[in-house]
Amino acid sequence: MAEIRNIKPGRTAEPPREPRPRRLAAIVAGDISGYSRLMQIDEEGTHNRVKRIERDVIEPGIIEHHGKLVKTTGDGFIAIFDSPVEAVRCSIVIQQNLVGRNTSLPKHHWIEYRIGVNLGDVIIETDDVYGDGVNIATRLEGIAYPGQVYISGGIYEQIKHKLVCGYEALGDRKVKNITDPVRVYRVLPDPSALQENRKRREGILIVFLSLALLIIGAGTLWYMLVQARKPVNQASAPVSSPAEVPKAPTAAPAQQQATPRPGPSPAPKQAAPLPQSASPAAPQPNTQPAPSVREPEMIPLRGGSFAMGSNDDVSEKPVHQVTIKPFAIGKSPVSVQEWNACAAAKACAFMAAGKDDAPVTNVSWSDARQYVAWLAETTRKPYRLPTEAEWEYAARGGTQTKYWWGDQFQPGMASCKNCSDIPSTDQPPSIGTLKPNPFGLFDMGGGVDQWMEDCWHKNYLGAPVDGSAWVENECPSHVIRSGSWKNDSRSARSSYRDGYDTNVRYPTHGFRVASSPRER
Amino acid sequence: MKFVQRIALSAVLACLPIAALAQGKSAPKDALLYFVWPQNGTTIKGGFWCRFGLRNMGVTHAGDNYPNSGHHHLLIDVNEPPNPTEPIPQDKSHLHFGAGQTEARIELPPGKHTLQLLLGDAGHYPFNPPVVSEKITVSIR
Repeated sequence: MAEIRNIKPGRTAEPPREPRPRRLAAIVAGDISGYSRLMQIDEEGTHNRVKRIERDVIEPGIIEHHGKLVKTTGDGFIAIFDSPVEAVRCSIVIQQNLVGRNTSLPKHHWIEYRIGVNLGDVIIETDDVYGDGVNIATRLEGIAYPGQVYISGGIYEQIKHKLVCGYEALGDRKVKNITDPVRVYRVLPDPSALQENRKRREGILIVFLSLALLIIGAGTLWYMLVQARKPVNQASAPVSSPAEVPKAPTAAPAQQQATPRPGPSPAPKQAAPLPQSASPAAPQPNTQPAPSVREPEMIPLRGGSFAMGSNDDVSEKPVHQVTIKPFAIGKSPVSVQEWNACAAAKACAFMAAGKDDAPVTNVSWSDARQYVAWLAETTRKPYRLPTEAEWEYAARGGTQTKYWWGDQFQPGMASCKNCSDIPSTDQPPSIGTLKPNPFGLFDMGGGVDQWMEDCWHKNYLGAPVDGSAWVENECPSHVIRSGSWKNDSRSARSSYRDGYDTNVRYPTHGFRVASSPRER
Repeated sequence: MKFVQRIALSAVLACLPIAALAQGKSAPKDALLYFVWPQNGTTIKGGFWCRFGLRNMGVTHAGDNYPNSGHHHLLIDVNEPPNPTEPIPQDKSHLHFGAGQTEARIELPPGKHTLQLLLGDAGHYPFNPPVVSEKITVSIR
């Protein structure tokens, strides 16, 4: 990396001995989609905003990830990195930052970058890079959708085990003026990309459904006309029901197709070539349904290293690197229905009131422990409470921002106090009401406070770095995470933490379960 | 019709004690909640033990529904008056002592802070009228 940086001053200072040094580099090419349209709407404003984005987001992002900005063009930039991981990470950070910047603006004013990343042997000169590798990066950027990062097969091979996010294989693509087809992958780190995907699918589904309905309607009409004798009873049923039908099927398949995609896909897809982590984590969640008990739906996560904590609150300091082993975590907090199965078995202390699909609340840490103990015993699976480090890793969903969608709070992403137009209620919103994070997990931030296995410590001084629970015997208070629908948006941050008395119930406290892969 | 009315009336009557239980329990008139330490205006260096005093009522574990008893909450820099229809919030400025604690180690950033005690009932609701202490100001150096 130092080498890359030194090239520029080095070359300008002394006369070049070997004029064109070649090197292998990860090339990041980005450009703004619809730049000329934006310039047409507001030339000066757009120019200023683009410059500001370059200054505030792109340049610092590249430096932070040990890269070098080679050049900026009117609407784009080219940067090189020694490390493919850093290159992709930087691209994701840039895209995520831009999502945050765009949210406050009307859609037609959005500045969205398309980014392509390729690994190639390039010729580096003081203020430009040349080579096939650069051209491919530019072409990848050209075929990327706004707000997305496309990477080449070469990059993918380097980062697939190292960067926790989803990759969607788009197959071999022929790109302009390049002879061999390029294998292309789409990086799926941020929710907005997924949403768009979902919207598109939803759109297609709606079109198909309305087509189907039209055909049914036409058929019914024809039937009515033909059988004009006894129309009333037969016709009224099929005609009235289609009005009801469309909603359910559009919503259900669209969600099923789109929502599981962010979460499950990163883990299994990435983990697949990595037998050690994939096999133990994956099999347990759904394959063996216990006969009697409804188990919480689990999402297996591959684990990895991440920076835990933040500088936003004394309790979240110091930020420290933690390595998480593979584990699985409940897709949502434990529901009233799931809890009441335990209560009905006399293994949990009380029957919970409220809607079946609402998260169970008013549980103490000891109550939560009773539930996981019962669940582990009845299913013979290693269910437990998550550790604080596991929770934060899962909540971040591969991001390092304040919230899993960026640094800025966005209404409608988390259930918290004064966070949306929905008035505050006595019960938390039902499970699955809001958007899942990039790992496909619901209510990781807001919703209900969630009990952790860890004892409460006022900060992270002395905290374990292996993802294990930080416990002593008989601690009087335990960690709660996530904040609740009664707390403000600050507590919906991924790194937010608090403690509460172990044996005391409180109306906003719930929990979710975790499990470790089976020992072999 | 009359039958229906009677059922409705009895249902309402049956619900009343539950509602009364849930919130707004009344406390003895002479109940007094106060800071044993620190006193109003104290300047403190670093962390301190805050000690809670309660007269003419008992301190109990949250969830225990004994008459004339409750548990402590310490409100730090809170300006809103307690809302008797909601459980006392739980966040960094509303500390709960539901295990029946009568003292706590408090660490605050340097500067002036207000402290106030608020007694909660079994379900974390304030009493009606609320049993609160005087709001004191301390300076942390």
